[in-house]
Amino acid sequence: MLELITAFATFVLQSSEPAIPKTAAAALAVGLAAFGAGYAERGIGAAAVGAIAEDDDMFGRGLILTVLPETLVILALVTIFVV
Amino acid sequence: MSTKQGGSNYEYVTARVRSRRSRLFDEDDYRKLTRMGTGEIARFMEESEYEAEMNALGSRHGGVDLIEYALNRNLAANFDDLLRWADGRLYDYVARYLRKFDAWNVKTTLRGVYSEADRTDVEDDFIRAGEFTEKQHSALLDAASMEEAIAATRGTMFHGPLEAALEVYEESDELVPLENAIDRAFYGHLLDGLPEEPDRPTELYIEFLRAEIDFRNLRNAFRLAYSGADMDPADYFIDGGRLFGEGDLRQLAQTPDELAARVRESPYGDDLDEALDALERARSLIGFENALDAALLEYSEQLSSRYPLSVCPVLGYVLAKEREIDNIRAIARGREAGLSEEEIQNELVIL
Repeated sequence: MLELITAFATFVLQSSEPAIPKTAAAALAVGLAAFGAGYAERGIGAAAVGAIAEDDDMFGRGLILTVLPETLVILALVTIFVV
Repeated sequence: MSTKQGGSNYEYVTARVRSRRSRLFDEDDYRKLTRMGTGEIARFMEESEYEAEMNALGSRHGGVDLIEYALNRNLAANFDDLLRWADGRLYDYVARYLRKFDAWNVKTTLRGVYSEADRTDVEDDFIRAGEFTEKQHSALLDAASMEEAIAATRGTMFHGPLEAALEVYEESDELVPLENAIDRAFYGHLLDGLPEEPDRPTELYIEFLRAEIDFRNLRNAFRLAYSGADMDPADYFIDGGRLFGEGDLRQLAQTPDELAARVRESPYGDDLDEALDALERARSLIGFENALDAALLEYSEQLSSRYPLSVCPVLGYVLAKEREIDNIRAIARGREAGLSEEEIQNELVIL
């Protein structure tokens, strides 16, 4: 196993191409950002639904707060245009 | 649907609980209520959170009884909601804490048997917010003697201690040992079976309950100290607090002033300063007990804002709701008995 890792490392270091192509890295960045946003929205969404259940007027505010982490994904989308 | 498995949904439950808490009566509402007659209080309640209960019971009861039963029923409904919402470990914590009402129901039954009250009278005073099933409730209600009532608790945590206390009761014909056994069983089991090395949420749960146990011990100590009764304080000691050991209590109950000084130095000292000052000024036990309640309420509020996503806001809400029920009951009963506004105001616990 260990030899394999060293062999892989030398291959990666010697080849002129990067291990992860640029576009793939950008895709990863967006995907991870979306994952983070989703995790944040989980908590906020639960709290927002709780608040709305008690008081209907909270719907607007709850919705805004719930989608706020979505900005993370939009910012991460910039990487797509940068590469 | 609540399950014991899976993660806790602190976000959802605390959001709902905070919303409910903000809708509890505030000082202005209490001031209005103290000026009302019982009929007006009932009408005021019909326009508030208690609407459903007031309407459901309105045809069967009237006057102060209506208010009281509506309060009990609303309390039970609110706390059932908590259990319905909570998942995972949070459910476990809340359920443990709400066994308080099982303890209350068993106490009510024993008092009913002791005073030979009607079955319906006892039933009306039940608060069905705990863990007991319908069957257990009716077994309790059917009990005609102390032995039967205690037999009805078989399988619950109250049974063993109650049986042990029965002997003392039969000798002295006083309810105190039985009620004490119930309290100690309840508080003893609150901190039972928690992991040896608690994680953060469990730690907070323990911290909250320690505070409550400390305050309970404190109240018992002050009661004993001021009544000058010749009783062994250790009988009333509840284990698990961080303020007193068993020996401390015995010693301190002899000397109220030392007791006050001890509390001042404790972690609660800052919160209780006002309460202790009030006690030294007034020398009245009721005033001090209310100050203690207010202090515990304040401490619970501090814990809930310090740890927003924990069990603390939920337990804090339970405490606050209980105080509200007590306050409204005090106002209604006080108005019925013709107490003055000022006297009623002294009975209230307002933060």
